[in-house]
Amino acid sequence: MNLFLNQLVNGLHVGSIYALIALGYTMVYGIVKLINFAHGDILMVGAYTAIVTLVSLNWPAPAALLAAILMCVLFGVVIERIAYKPLRSSPRISSLITAIGVSMLLQNAALLIFGAQSRPFPTLLQVPPLRFLGLQVSFITVLTVAVSALLMVILQVFVKASKAGKAMRAASEDYNTAQLMGINVNTTITLTFAIGCALAGIGAFLYVMAYPAVSPTMGSLPGLKAFIAAVLGGIGIIPGAMLGGFVMGVAESLTKAYISTQMSDAVVYGILIVVLLVKPTGLIGSLSREKV
Amino acid sequence: MNKKTKAVVLNLLAIFLFYTVVTALILTGTMNNYLSNILITVLITVIMTASLNVTTGLLGQLALGHAGFMAIGAYVSAIFTKSVAMGFGLSLPISLLLGGLVAALFGMLIGIPALRLQGDYLAIITLGFGEIIRVIIENLSVTGGAAGLTRIARMSRAFSEDRALSSAIQFTFVFFITALIIASIFTLGRSRHGRAIISIRENAIAAEATGIPTTRYKLLAFTIASFYAGIAGGLFAHQTSILNAKMFGFNKSIEYLVMVVLGGMGSITGSVVSSVVLVALPEILRGLAEYRLIIYSLLLILMMLFRPKGLLGTKEFSMLGAWERMEAFFRRVFKQKQAQTRMPFQPRYDVWENKPVLETHKLGIAFGGLKAAENISIQLMDNEIVGLIGPNGAGKTTVFNLLTGVYAPTEGQVVLMGKPVQGRMTHQITMDGIARTFQNIRLFRSMSALDNIKVAFHSRMRYSTFSAIIRNSRCLSEERGIDVRARELLRVFGMEDLADVNAGSLPYGQQRKLEICRALASNPKVLLLDEPAAGMNPSETSELMQTIKTIRSQFSVAVLLIEHDMRLVMGICERIYVLNYGCVIAHGSPEEIRSNPEVVAAYLGQEQAELAQKEADDA
Repeated sequence: MNLFLNQLVNGLHVGSIYALIALGYTMVYGIVKLINFAHGDILMVGAYTAIVTLVSLNWPAPAALLAAILMCVLFGVVIERIAYKPLRSSPRISSLITAIGVSMLLQNAALLIFGAQSRPFPTLLQVPPLRFLGLQVSFITVLTVAVSALLMVILQVFVKASKAGKAMRAASEDYNTAQLMGINVNTTITLTFAIGCALAGIGAFLYVMAYPAVSPTMGSLPGLKAFIAAVLGGIGIIPGAMLGGFVMGVAESLTKAYISTQMSDAVVYGILIVVLLVKPTGLIGSLSREKV
Repeated sequence: MNKKTKAVVLNLLAIFLFYTVVTALILTGTMNNYLSNILITVLITVIMTASLNVTTGLLGQLALGHAGFMAIGAYVSAIFTKSVAMGFGLSLPISLLLGGLVAALFGMLIGIPALRLQGDYLAIITLGFGEIIRVIIENLSVTGGAAGLTRIARMSRAFSEDRALSSAIQFTFVFFITALIIASIFTLGRSRHGRAIISIRENAIAAEATGIPTTRYKLLAFTIASFYAGIAGGLFAHQTSILNAKMFGFNKSIEYLVMVVLGGMGSITGSVVSSVVLVALPEILRGLAEYRLIIYSLLLILMMLFRPKGLLGTKEFSMLGAWERMEAFFRRVFKQKQAQTRMPFQPRYDVWENKPVLETHKLGIAFGGLKAAENISIQLMDNEIVGLIGPNGAGKTTVFNLLTGVYAPTEGQVVLMGKPVQGRMTHQITMDGIARTFQNIRLFRSMSALDNIKVAFHSRMRYSTFSAIIRNSRCLSEERGIDVRARELLRVFGMEDLADVNAGSLPYGQQRKLEICRALASNPKVLLLDEPAAGMNPSETSELMQTIKTIRSQFSVAVLLIEHDMRLVMGICERIYVLNYGCVIAHGSPEEIRSNPEVVAAYLGQEQAELAQKEADDA
């Protein structure tokens, strides 16, 4: 029972990071219908920014976090303007390939600048693990889950209640009509990328606190998993990304504990396949059928 | 010899020359092992890319797990040659075929559930399956687990004791397999099966309504692609001599997808060109060491920004158009006589005078609590033109969707020529004799007008996929037959000059006409026209009225049409059904309908109707 609860908590920890990254995928997809393959590498950009500012420049942790967020936002917005915006009216697969190109570019540029070897991330918090109902929970886990949950609530409120959030929802519903209603779609898309990347920046910081190794390809796997989480929950839907992230994280850590470490990826993909087959639009996606 | 035939002969000569020169270079040892190895990699990549293009380019479905099928083929083939005691020259071809078949089997098993999804969701699910294949291979003992397989016979050594000779045989072997596969994709693409696959890419709903069993063809394309990927995998295994599941990850699938898109989705020659370039490019850039991949990815981005549709778009080199000319040329050379022209077989309908060809009994459908259509009983006599009118949202198109099986009715039934069509799929209903057009035109836009019609002849042709690939006389004669028929049909509509124009670039009025023409090509007994006059000016509408009358007498069909243009409806319909809120509120001759108070009320509102009635009475 204790093992189970521990794994559940671990799952929530990983899952909340997946959810943060998945939000970036899902928000971008919701508006421009683009699977932004470079999003995982934005995570890597954030991690390198954090490690450079912390270790080489000796900045305090909050300043490093801020730098990571800003760098991610900068990268996200610039990539959107240069690489994705010109392709908005092209076939969707063209922008998908461009995204793959951007992802390769980021990885190889990092490889050139920082080298292939992974760098250890310094330990920032020396807090003893919390004891809780006979469970031992590390402080980072609590912090990660709490920060992610808070951010998701803020995001949800922002999207539902603010004017910019309303513009985002309108643009994701129907891009062209939103334009006709006087919404500046370009600004809205930039904002979407910025928010998504800021969340990835925070996610990056939380990720390297848990897995303290920074390397050029570190973003691929969490990126892919977060993306799958977004699809699992129903891509384009913000609560879907959160749910998908948590489901992925918990499923992964329970499989590792009870079935097999090697097979954990297979189980995760298996869950994805079953969900998509039973409910093709994800856990909480709704079906939009083409009108004949 | 005309210019194009010359071009083909030159192409063939070039291919042959290329082959001979390379073989000679290998035999004399001028081309070292490193270079010939790259060449083999190029050829294997060509197979992978061209086969992925069948799914992604021709069928139009994004697949992200292609490397998984390559892995299956590679492992099956390697395990086979490692475990049987046979001469390599025999065991290799068998193992490749086996690898291809097992990969095809998996392709089919995965395709059956996965192909119900579309677009990005299909992409993700294929990604998932591809990764699962990889993880499972990594954890099986027969595949060597995480360590993988080693000491697989190497083609560059196993064919012969002599290194140079073995390399040359390897090149010959791989070169001809690649050539055969590419040729088969070409011939398949130009057959009725290929047209069916492409029509799904263009418009799946229209394809189904034109008589294409879309589910089956999606599966066919997916299975063929997996089969070829399996063969490529087998070749790969015997090129590298070691296998590891990590070689076939998600990134590998992406790599092939990139090549397909860069070459142009739907262009097989584009795939060939991009495979050659993208395999060679990193090798050429090798001198630049660490900048290599940066340049590569920058080129990728720039390429997409400036040519979003890829190098060749959906176009092919001279080869595609010239294929038939080449055949004609060889026929002349070998004095073979031309294949016969076999006309498509015509379904025979019983003479059905004075009985309804189409009847519905209390037909209805509810979406959740909303009854979109209710208690609809209509009859259509042979050779009759009947109108279906009603205000917006009355459920007219819903009735069409019920008649054609797009929606399954929740109550009542449809009877076509005395037989209930309950539970039939849309494409089967089309073959039974109901054809339709769509309110918002659904043509196969990037196919020629002629090919649009030919798709509709699909169900009346009989030649198999295999005939299509080898282009035997059966295939050729049937193709010639439908070419004649399709052109005849275009001539009836005065569109014979537009046969080779892409449907998407036709003017609006012609597109409407082409859609009617395509519906007629499936030889229907009942033709459903959904707002044929929408967007037409008065003179075009008059022309359309004439056309509909001509169709009725020439093709002996009953016409049921939805239309808002009252001049057209009153002008040509013999009877009219009026629909409001999903129910038939009136039915009768145009005169009866015009003076029916309920109908006037439905269109103008109760108050206005009373006013109109009063005015009529006063007058």
